[in-house]
Amino acid sequence: MISQTVLVTGLLLMLVGVWGMLTQRNILRIVIGFALMGTGSHIVIVAVGYVAGGTAPIVDGPVTVANAAARAVDPVPSALAVTAIVIGLAVIAVMLAFAIRLYEAKKTLSIDAFADSKW
Amino acid sequence: MVGSLLHPLNIFIVGLGTGFLIPLLNRLGKGWVAAAFLAALAAMTLISAVCAIHLYYGGEPIEILTGGALPPYAINLRMGLAEAFVATGATATALLGAIYVLREKYAVMLLYLILVMGVIGMIATRDLFNLFVFLEIVSIATYGLLSLGSRPEALSASFKFLMATVVASTFFLLGTMLLYAATGILNIDDLIAAREGIAGPIAFAALMLLLGCLLLELKPFPANGWGLDVYETAPGSIAALVASVVSAGVFFALLKLMPLFEDYWVVIAATGAITFVFANLIGLSQTKAQRLLGYSSVGQMGLLYMAAALLHIVDAKAAMPLVIGGLFINHLLAKAGLFWLAGVVSRERLTDWAGLGQHPIVLAGFGILICAIAGLPPFPGFWAKWQYIVSLASHGKFVWIAIALLGSLLEAAYLFRWLALTLHRPAGAKDWKPSRLALLPVFGAGALLALCGYGAARMAGLDADWIFLPLIAGLAIVVLGCVSDPAQRIAAILTVAAGGYWLVQGMTGIGFLFGALFFAGSAALVIASLYRKERRPGFYPFLVVLLLSLQALPRAATGLEFFVLFEFVTLASYFLILRRPEARSAAFSYVLFSLTSGYCLIAGFAVAHAVTGEVSLSALLTAAPESALAFGLLAAGFLIKAGAVGVHVWLPGAYADSDDDLSAILSAVVSKAPIFGLVVAAYATIRSEAMLDLAYAVGCLGMLTTVVGAVLALRQDDIKRMLAYSSMSQLGYIVAAVALMSHLGWVTALYLTANHLAVKGILFLVAAAVVLRTGRRTFSALGGLVKSMPVTFGIALVGVVAMSGLPPFTGFGGKWLLLSAMMEKGWYLPIALGVLATLVGLLYMVRFIRAIFLGPPRGATHTVPEAPWPILTAQAILIAGILIMTFFPKLLIVPISEAIDPAFASTLVWEGMSLELIYGYWNPLPTMAAAVAVSLLLIAALWLVRRRTARLPGTARSANFYDHYQPLLAAVTPPWAVTFWTAVARSTQRLGMLAGRVYTGNGQAYTLTVFYYFVAVYMVCAAISF
Repeated sequence: MISQTVLVTGLLLMLVGVWGMLTQRNILRIVIGFALMGTGSHIVIVAVGYVAGGTAPIVDGPVTVANAAARAVDPVPSALAVTAIVIGLAVIAVMLAFAIRLYEAKKTLSIDAFADSKW
Repeated sequence: MVGSLLHPLNIFIVGLGTGFLIPLLNRLGKGWVAAAFLAALAAMTLISAVCAIHLYYGGEPIEILTGGALPPYAINLRMGLAEAFVATGATATALLGAIYVLREKYAVMLLYLILVMGVIGMIATRDLFNLFVFLEIVSIATYGLLSLGSRPEALSASFKFLMATVVASTFFLLGTMLLYAATGILNIDDLIAAREGIAGPIAFAALMLLLGCLLLELKPFPANGWGLDVYETAPGSIAALVASVVSAGVFFALLKLMPLFEDYWVVIAATGAITFVFANLIGLSQTKAQRLLGYSSVGQMGLLYMAAALLHIVDAKAAMPLVIGGLFINHLLAKAGLFWLAGVVSRERLTDWAGLGQHPIVLAGFGILICAIAGLPPFPGFWAKWQYIVSLASHGKFVWIAIALLGSLLEAAYLFRWLALTLHRPAGAKDWKPSRLALLPVFGAGALLALCGYGAARMAGLDADWIFLPLIAGLAIVVLGCVSDPAQRIAAILTVAAGGYWLVQGMTGIGFLFGALFFAGSAALVIASLYRKERRPGFYPFLVVLLLSLQALPRAATGLEFFVLFEFVTLASYFLILRRPEARSAAFSYVLFSLTSGYCLIAGFAVAHAVTGEVSLSALLTAAPESALAFGLLAAGFLIKAGAVGVHVWLPGAYADSDDDLSAILSAVVSKAPIFGLVVAAYATIRSEAMLDLAYAVGCLGMLTTVVGAVLALRQDDIKRMLAYSSMSQLGYIVAAVALMSHLGWVTALYLTANHLAVKGILFLVAAAVVLRTGRRTFSALGGLVKSMPVTFGIALVGVVAMSGLPPFTGFGGKWLLLSAMMEKGWYLPIALGVLATLVGLLYMVRFIRAIFLGPPRGATHTVPEAPWPILTAQAILIAGILIMTFFPKLLIVPISEAIDPAFASTLVWEGMSLELIYGYWNPLPTMAAAVAVSLLLIAALWLVRRRTARLPGTARSANFYDHYQPLLAAVTPPWAVTFWTAVARSTQRLGMLAGRVYTGNGQAYTLTVFYYFVAVYMVCAAISF
């Protein structure tokens, strides 16, 4: 059911994102890391619902109610992916908004400048 | 049936609808926005509350179906009783807190509303992906609200929060989808039903991602730096929302998914335990108010999911509503209230809170919330913790009980230290005036806590409403105090006397005996408080609570009732001691040791309950648990509270630094509460032969306390400190007498109790009179008062003679019989200690009389007037008591004989004799003569030694006998106990600071910890599964 290539691509993309958010010092690059991680997760979601050689989940023509489970791509993950993309967009937008305010506060985008509260 | 308007679906319609309307209404004017915002929140609260009430009275859970299809083809939400309860708590808290954001931009109110709606969604939804959506709605609304904090550190904190929670929720999404890939199910109910089939690496990874995310959102140690930073820097109102309402949603999500994680409950419990202990440990070294509250929040959430997981493990379904619901609502309201208050006070550093006490109302609110968070009665957290401990004890989970109590103690330590800081206003503190409206939510939270506390008490099986009588009386006295000060004093005295009299009715046996003693002592000593002319804010209300609770103590029929009253006594006396600025550190050690004592008791009662399966004290008595652990814990608790040697460090400060009339009450009456408990505990466990060794240990400890207390008393120059240590010494005798577990021992114990009550009351009042008239309280600064205060001198003399056990007064016989009884049992070590204590006791009592009243007058003390009438009246009553007991000893003896169950005769050597017979059988005179003779010989020896050493060249001749032996006394009483406890306190604090080093403030480091956390959860659970 799962398309291996797409799945691995998605997971790799997530890892790249994680690497970026943990190693980059610039807040914008960190946000890009988060965006990559989000995109990777969306790809994984789509991969989860993919059926090899499947077609669109519309009961019409080749897909009948009887063979839908075998022939059609699972529509649920795709639908959820759309929701996740919307949410991801909002989150990235909020992060960028914070990046702007952080820059205004200290005139720098280096994450090292924002280690205020401790212990 | 709930009307269609009050259908829970409307919560979402109202939330979203008003959210979209708000930008439009903003065009009309700010007032419209605020009104719509408040109305929407009120509607959400009302709907939740109506649902909760409907369900409580047996209504069916309300299903919300969407999209015209049944689950699993459509998302469904459910309002069951648990959901409705949590939703009501969350919406009500949000409604109260809404007052603080009414003046903000309309976007803030919009986000606030959406956040609350999202939390209800998290609570109600039964679909895993929908849960993710609501989690994100809540998260994004939180991010928006956090941007309200405009300081740079608030922005940094918000960004750290963002990074960590985005990672967590991405993993939640991934987990949801992997679970779907493995099972094809998203509906939570179906997942739970199919959980046996959830197997394989993908499904396991999916579960771990879900579990990891939910735990992370609850901010577990050490992956919670991002959360703490937000608590510290966000505006109080927003921090309150995150700590209470958002946490409520996440916690409920975890609770809902709990069955899915069945194999990993122990991991959840361990995570909670680590978080609870470490958060509170680090909390000890905090200096900023909101950060401290952050640690407390994180810790409380840890406790909450630890308790939830453990109750699932032991399958205690019946206990879950009280434990989980109680802890939840307690934290929700109290933490929100404290954050609100922090926002209102808006002083960052704890030390800047000093002087809050100038506003009694603020202080009252603060005190209520602190007591609630610390899990003290009557608030819900107390009953929940009790039920938690009882439930776990019956399954032998003692380690988890110890963890919960340890964490609670650490938390209480920093909370009470903070509370004490706020009381007294330092010179030059800035004036500050809170607005009434801003305090409204704080008091709303307090009132709701009290209400829920009452409900929780009922759930905990407490059906004795008179338990709350002391609190209600205290409140009434507060109200009266606002009207008139003299009326308050008179009413307080009458309440203590009448209430005590009423409470004594219906008591029987040993309970009656102690009840009568508490009543007589309280009624007499409370009169003495009239000698203080000035206004004493807070004194009388707490005094009434203290004395009524104390007098009600023997009425307790169950372990729980006893413990509740015991905690009332502790709390009220703590606040009374704290009233004096000088007594701050004394009050602090008092409350810590008292709470530790309370925790030992709660554990002891729980173990006893687990062994017997009964809650009632009388059942405990007849069932006689053969559990050394139960008796050991109870004895430990009572010994701490009685000030046994080693744990006595709280005692001198508490008795000596408090108000002079309060010292008399504490030392004379309140100190007998643990003695009463000890008698009851000993009585309960006496059948078991195994107890007798333990009893011997307690007996030795008692006598050692007597000696050490006496030597320390002799060392003091301060009158009140001397009396405090003397009190410790005398209590040691009583403890030893109880531990004898024999007829003679118990008669002696009760005799000594009555005797010490009267004597120490008299002597502390003598000290009060001397301090009042001369303004001095050290022996070295006093002398020759016999001429100016002859009546006080006579009274002091009676007191001293009665205390030393010399004829003709009561107490004569007591100590000597005790020594005889020990001789018969072959307790040679305690006897030796007893003789030594007799010697030292004689020395310090002679000194008391000599230094204050005889000796050369110092300063202008010869002109001072006699003691004021309230003190003399109280003393006269107590002396009358001594005389009555001397001439009519049967008044005490007959009830004792009647109280003791003859069935105990096999182990308790109980001849059932009257006192005359005892005196005939055991003649105290030879023992007394021997002990006093030995003492006099030793005194003579000391005298000779002094003469010899004083003549040696190079030694200055000391001014008097006592000074000469100070070095010797100092040498035999090294301050081991103080050193030890100071070291414990220091190293605990240092450990906390060390653990706090994980919080470097670096957002990337925090995010990395989050990843590590997921890996750790994965590894640990994998180790459990495979």
